[in-house]
Amino acid sequence: MARQPADKSSSSKNDDSALIRELALLLDETSLTEIEIERAGLRVRVARNINVTASMPANFMPAAPAPAAGAAQPAAVTDMAMHPGVVPSPMVGTVYWAPEPGAKPFIEVGTKVSAGQTLLIIEAMKTMNQIPSPRAGTVTQILVEDGQPVEFGEPLVIIE
Amino acid sequence: MFDKILIANRGEIALRVLRACKELGIATVAVHSTADADAMHVRLADESVCIGPPPSKDSYLNIPALLAACEITGADAVHPGYGFLSENARFAEILAEHNLEFIGPKAEHIRLMGDKIEAKKTASKLGIPVVPGSDGAVSADDDAMAIAKAIGFPVLVKAAAGGGGRGMKVAHSVDDLAMALSTASNEAKSAFGDASVYLEKYLQKPRHIEIQILGDGRGGAIHLGERDCSLQRRHQKVWEEGPSPVLSAAARAKIGATCAKAMQDMKYLGVGTIEFLYEDGEFYFIEMNTRIQVEHPVTEMITDIDLVLEQIRIAAGGDLPAKQEEIAIIGHAIECRINAENPQTFRPSPGKIAYYHPPGGLGVRVDSAVYAGYSIPPNYDSLVGKLIVHGRNRNEALMRLRRALDEFIIDGIDTTIPLFQTLVRNADIQNGLYDIHWLERFLALGGMDEEPA
Repeated sequence: MARQPADKSSSSKNDDSALIRELALLLDETSLTEIEIERAGLRVRVARNINVTASMPANFMPAAPAPAAGAAQPAAVTDMAMHPGVVPSPMVGTVYWAPEPGAKPFIEVGTKVSAGQTLLIIEAMKTMNQIPSPRAGTVTQILVEDGQPVEFGEPLVIIE
Repeated sequence: MFDKILIANRGEIALRVLRACKELGIATVAVHSTADADAMHVRLADESVCIGPPPSKDSYLNIPALLAACEITGADAVHPGYGFLSENARFAEILAEHNLEFIGPKAEHIRLMGDKIEAKKTASKLGIPVVPGSDGAVSADDDAMAIAKAIGFPVLVKAAAGGGGRGMKVAHSVDDLAMALSTASNEAKSAFGDASVYLEKYLQKPRHIEIQILGDGRGGAIHLGERDCSLQRRHQKVWEEGPSPVLSAAARAKIGATCAKAMQDMKYLGVGTIEFLYEDGEFYFIEMNTRIQVEHPVTEMITDIDLVLEQIRIAAGGDLPAKQEEIAIIGHAIECRINAENPQTFRPSPGKIAYYHPPGGLGVRVDSAVYAGYSIPPNYDSLVGKLIVHGRNRNEALMRLRRALDEFIIDGIDTTIPLFQTLVRNADIQNGLYDIHWLERFLALGGMDEEPA
């Protein structure tokens, strides 16, 4: 959905629609859901019509300033949050797969874990918190990227 | 100016803060508990972070989670709203240690005014008239008896760490005093973690009149007139109006100047409210609130100043919006706090709002974060929203309030709208003849036992 300011002169209208087409193409080619650009008195935002999932990370990564469609967000979380094997985040912070940069990640898909075994680290304000597995099982999905910010309750991994 | 503000609150005030941020072009981060994932302001914010499960101590009062949320979103300032951490000096200090701006007063002033005994001493030193009482905490019953006799019965035993109407017991005579002291002290210990109590003269028919102030932190401060919040139930304000029906312009100017001067001397930063009991033409300081208050819209409507916006601007180093002589009180405003409670029993009524139609039209403002289909969570306060009306004079405001209340539809839960429909038709209210005991007396005498006409 594109939004334009009130400038209606015909030549700029042609430029504008060319720009919007270009942005729309860019959206299709990449996995972005929304692009907003501003220059010389014109700001254009092109957003994919979001039905189900705006991916969680896009919503609060500091590098993405464009407002995400809030209504879509709960749908994505709910899908994985409902999974019986889900391990939700107990805190707010940044996920790290490994105990330190360059080290081997704690787990990968297929790893068998015991109850209490460290799955990953969530860092908040310089303190590292090891996140233990709530049960024994096999890691079937890792839902968060290394370095991804997470909120309370966000699905981290699936252990079945 | 700030780039991104994290709103550390919920409900209608979070939405209020969000609106001010948007109007200033500042990015917004809404933090919320799992119970508030569908809150209006969460949907409208640029970013949101779930910070914990429903209990406040694990979410809205969870300082580490709030800091972590600032960290992952890159917020550079936090607005604490009212309640929760808004008057927590430690929180303000912790934010400062992390290079985050706390949109509120300096931590030392929060601390000073948070201790009600120290606040009273400070007020007195700054030339603000206070309620006659004990000079500090009272310990042994002997001391208390002598002090109480000197003040004159009846006296009020108040918790030093209390405030907001909590932790108070009346002693009508020497016979009651010992019991009042021990009860108040025990309750204070369990509610606030501090058993210290002090004594004050109990005023028989006072009004509650408070002065809104604004300080730039550098010695500049102005007052924005008063709000009359005498209509209270169990010490909770229910109906607030400004200007007060009983204050003359001269009286307003005098008490206002006293308060503004005190804030200049303190070099107070941000918004604040100095609360008084007013009886027989005299003002008596009871406490100061170092935060934005629930009833701030009353002042906004009569002065045309956006207090939340000014909070943010001033916290970012801005100047006061006007000189004292430029502040004018225009017309009359009345606010009704609409709670999700049965209007007769006041039993809480959380649940889903099936149908919501707020009133509109000239001079009508609704500050509410609810919507049709929204479920009021049971974990927090029962405020559904605030209806504020403004008119050119008090009569016009009353007529407008009556009209607006009759249009307001909130189906699916009980609300206290019928209480206000009854009050606005009451002769005493219409004549402005009420004090802080009026409402409870009215209810006790069966004022809400019949449906309004």
